[in-house]
Amino acid sequence: MTLSLEELLQRNPDAETLKLWLKKVPYASFLGIEAEVRGGDILFILPDDERLIGNPGLPAIHGGVVGAFMEQAAAFHLIARMNRPVLPKIIDFSLDYLRPARLRPTYAQCVVTRQGRQIANVSVSAWQVHSDEPNAIARAHFLIPGTD
Amino acid sequence: MRRLSHSEKVRAIEAISEQIPHARLLGICLERIDGEELTMKMPYRDELVGNPQTGAIHGGALTVLLDQTLGIASVCCDQVGPMLTPTLDLRIDHLGVAPAGRDIFAVGRVYRVTRRIVFVEGFAYCESRERSIARATGSWVLMSEVDSRTLFPAHSPETPV
Repeated sequence: MTLSLEELLQRNPDAETLKLWLKKVPYASFLGIEAEVRGGDILFILPDDERLIGNPGLPAIHGGVVGAFMEQAAAFHLIARMNRPVLPKIIDFSLDYLRPARLRPTYAQCVVTRQGRQIANVSVSAWQVHSDEPNAIARAHFLIPGTD
Repeated sequence: MRRLSHSEKVRAIEAISEQIPHARLLGICLERIDGEELTMKMPYRDELVGNPQTGAIHGGALTVLLDQTLGIASVCCDQVGPMLTPTLDLRIDHLGVAPAGRDIFAVGRVYRVTRRIVFVEGFAYCESRERSIARATGSWVLMSEVDSRTLFPAHSPETPV
């Protein structure tokens, strides 16, 4: 029996569940996004893949792809922290590029800065070599449906 | 950089789109140039879906299209011309949902150029320009002129042999 994403969201967000979630989202699978659980926190991984290059000169990963990866990380991180998990809807997304993402794996971790009843604010940091030297930072607002 | 003619803008944007592997993979291509305004198209494909329950396009896919469109809008800006412009920041407001099965278009336009920064705005839509599904604004840093030989390889008399 195949479970829908909605059903899978109710599971405990361990490494196996995160893998199932990512597999259910076509665009996340297309980018090849992976996730691991490390010390109680979720680490999202965007593997190095020549298909994702946006600047062939450097070469560097497409800035939009880095943003898409960070938005997906923020959404699943938020779901993993929800009491009654639902798919949140993105309201707005603000992205600062600090250094180009080279053709190597990119990592992302998130913090739910504020979770209200209807709106959540999630910040994301993405890095390649050291987590204290981020390639990009982002902030996303999500609407949590079905709370009114 | 001198001002580009309409056909030079078309050729430059087609060359840039062709040289970017991820843009080529998604089939992001030039739709239209209206003076200093640029419209790009991202053809629908099932891999772009973000919500498997509704079939809606992933917000991140719109980020890719808008980053791509706003990023190369400088080509159409008569004040700037084709420049190497790393993105400083990008903000996207998701005003609606891009439904399954529809091609997506993005419009970009440089609205202010300072000595070091290009300020660009734009939006994305499916059916009608009047009903945008996302709006974007961002800043790009002016680095250096793009080597015209990479944009017009067959037409440049200075191409070294």
